[in-house]
Amino acid sequence: MSDPVLEVKGLCKEYPKFRLENVSFSVPRACIMGFIGRNGAGKTTTLKSILNLVHASAGEIRYFGLDLHESEEEIKRRIGYAGGAVDYYKRKKIRDIVAVTRSFYPNWDENAYRKYMTAFDLDESKTPSQLSEGMKVKLNLCLSLSHRAELLILDEPTSGLDPVSRDELLDIFDVLRGNGVSVLFSTHITSDLDKCADSITYIKNGRILASEPMESYIASCRENGIGGNLEEIMLHYEKEDYHEKLA
Amino acid sequence: MKNLLDKELKLATSPLAWLFLLFSLMTFIPGYPILLGSFFVCLGLFHSFQNAGEANDILYTALLPVRKNDAVRAKFISVCFFELVAFLLMAVFTVIRMTVMSDSPVYKTNVMMNATPLYLAFVLIIFALFNLIFLRGFFRTAYKIGKPFIIFIVVTMITIGIGESLHHVPGLEFLNDPSGKRMGLQLAILAAGAVIYAVVTFLSEKRSEYSFERIDL
Repeated sequence: MSDPVLEVKGLCKEYPKFRLENVSFSVPRACIMGFIGRNGAGKTTTLKSILNLVHASAGEIRYFGLDLHESEEEIKRRIGYAGGAVDYYKRKKIRDIVAVTRSFYPNWDENAYRKYMTAFDLDESKTPSQLSEGMKVKLNLCLSLSHRAELLILDEPTSGLDPVSRDELLDIFDVLRGNGVSVLFSTHITSDLDKCADSITYIKNGRILASEPMESYIASCRENGIGGNLEEIMLHYEKEDYHEKLA
Repeated sequence: MKNLLDKELKLATSPLAWLFLLFSLMTFIPGYPILLGSFFVCLGLFHSFQNAGEANDILYTALLPVRKNDAVRAKFISVCFFELVAFLLMAVFTVIRMTVMSDSPVYKTNVMMNATPLYLAFVLIIFALFNLIFLRGFFRTAYKIGKPFIIFIVVTMITIGIGESLHHVPGLEFLNDPSGKRMGLQLAILAAGAVIYAVVTFLSEKRSEYSFERIDL
């Protein structure tokens, strides 16, 4: 296997009522990694930490072999990020947002931008507020891919999408993987991962339960009677007995 | 830095910030606390921060391949740009009021602050307060704008009150003299105002860089 595009080792972050403990995983090149866990498990905190949006109290984060804190600018030129529900400058025309955004990326590929705008049916004269949730995700993908991002970090990109849009998005991930792009996306929708993930990282209460290739993880869980697919596995680990709690 | 400034002006700045530069024209209003014009310029800038907050401007910027310090510096430079444009307009209007309009009866009987270099010094002090209280306050969290702006309003109103009262103090009447007889002293006060603006803005920017580097977004 080639060198990972992202390596996270011993990541820790403390909040008054929550903490990430020793989070470690790595994303290989041309790999789709699902980052799963239930709501509040620490997915967004982990993603924000590896983007240096929140400050980890300990740990090492390396992209393409480069330390995040030493080479943050170069790394951010080579990755793309999209939060599920986040849209930027929603009242500005896409054309104007793109005109500004492209100036930050020396590696901006105008041909790729035109190609993805056409493929995703995006209209430059629209504003993000006029786009559906699925189209917003596509716009963010388009911006990332136009600066030739080698790794896409997506926080719950499929949440809020209709089944067709979700399926289309997973198809896009598949094409990107074929082009050598890696995708790390958080989700709690396990069926998305069944369709496209090569590997999964499973986080629970701020700790990594597992981070390994999808097939071997499912196989080992099946052998141990935990479950035969991700949904069964998540239910095994996470489901609380409310009959007992509320009795 | 150029692309960050471009982003500030094209994406983050509210059209109201441009429009509110017109409040510089308040320099011409006789019998009115003309320093309020500088407050309204700051109100336009405040609206830009409101707009930028709704547009997730800080998150967008933090994800760009730029240093966080440069993001803070670009915000300060764009705010200073508006402040200095407003200041230049007010300076031009002050010169007009002190020269070609100096014989106008409405200005001869003005009990409020006249348009003089002292007025311009106070304009710079109000802008310095905006940078110190509001901008510096904003970068403590990168999202809270209400509290620092309310503090700025209170402090600015007190400052305007002081500015309007000073020349009524016996012996300080010269501060409001529009005839140009005490121009040297008034220009010295303006120079002091400029120094205060530059030093306060510089220190506020440095402290904001320090805060922004350490907060979680």
